[in-house]
Amino acid sequence: MNKFIVKKSSIICFVFIPIIFFWHPNWLGFLGIQPYWPLFWLLPWSMINGSINGVIFGLFLGLILDSITLDNFTQIPGLILCGFWFGRIKINSDILVGHFRYGLVCCLGSFLCGTLYFLQILFKNFSDSTFLLFIPSVQNILAEVFLTGLFAPLICSQLLRIFKYSR
Amino acid sequence: MLDIRRISTSRWWHKKKNWLFFAIFLFLVFVRISKGSLYKDFYYFISKPFWPGQFQKEVILKSSEQESLIKLNLLKKDNDRLREILDLQQSSNSDNISAAVISRKIGSWWRQIILNKGSKDGVEIGSTVVGPGGLLGIVESTSLFTSSVTLLTSPESKVGVWVDRIKINGLLIGSGDDSPNLILYSDDIDIKVGDFLSSSPASTLLPPNIPIGIVQSVNNSLNSKKTAKISLLAKPHLIDWVQILKVNVNE
Repeated sequence: MNKFIVKKSSIICFVFIPIIFFWHPNWLGFLGIQPYWPLFWLLPWSMINGSINGVIFGLFLGLILDSITLDNFTQIPGLILCGFWFGRIKINSDILVGHFRYGLVCCLGSFLCGTLYFLQILFKNFSDSTFLLFIPSVQNILAEVFLTGLFAPLICSQLLRIFKYSR
Repeated sequence: MLDIRRISTSRWWHKKKNWLFFAIFLFLVFVRISKGSLYKDFYYFISKPFWPGQFQKEVILKSSEQESLIKLNLLKKDNDRLREILDLQQSSNSDNISAAVISRKIGSWWRQIILNKGSKDGVEIGSTVVGPGGLLGIVESTSLFTSSVTLLTSPESKVGVWVDRIKINGLLIGSGDDSPNLILYSDDIDIKVGDFLSSSPASTLLPPNIPIGIVQSVNNSLNSKKTAKISLLAKPHLIDWVQILKVNVNE
């Protein structure tokens, strides 16, 4: 049983991403905004398994997250691009550099996903009142980028270790 | 020279892994089409022990049972009288479904709550959800055990509202923060901070006269429109129990 859990840990973590998305732990948030959870899983997975796997699982994650959110916008493009990009990053042997890099990479990934999502909202609601969306949306993106960058070194390094061990 | 021939086992369809990926992809497409109902029902079961106020609810139900026989007639009379005053003839308690909030996303762009009552309890898409204070949102999708509600603060939300003091209709649109925007399609309207908003009698989505919010600030006119920030009366981040109104406003 333990062996099974260790071996399938990456898939088990994958299944729990939407659960965390539902759970939405407020005590981890900032201004009511949460870190962008899927990137914490996608980064170590893509770094270990490469770009193709990153793209495929970015698509899978996007499909699941789109199905549990009510909006008619999609998170798939951002996650696919991040999956591809993360797959091209090599694992650094220096632990300290690696940790900081997870934070920086996740910050940029979160910014990319947030911006692509915001552009979809703008495109759909394009009218004279579009300016009303700007300030809250920029605030959302920045808070999400900050939180994702803050938690990434802690979570990604642990997940990377677990995923490597499970191979 | 060696004749290099492509070995048939190297075809992509001969790899078990590719078929596995394809099967997962098909499953996820099914999940996407079903609007994540499998996930939502799974979450319903694993979050059941943590639902708000389970113990309190039992205590309240037990004590109310003891009192109900004595007070039922009095309350019924009071209820009828108040409904007549508030012009709420369209709905009655038997039309409402009480539900607990089992998940809430109130930050970022995804502003939604998930309730522990679904299609098996008679919740329908388009039902109005109210909490202490007033309107919260509209049911956007249902699974067997859960229903998902788009909050008024979501960028996807657009509802017709009625400004009571100046007797005019407006449009309330979510902007991805806690205060949605009111748009009035005329720039010479005398809207003031503190004006009260309720659901519009002209709305086809909502029952009329449900309290919504209060004008928090008024912006300058732009392109013959006036906009205002609205402070909502019902606070989704604090509410644990809500009422789903099964009122058919078209009837």
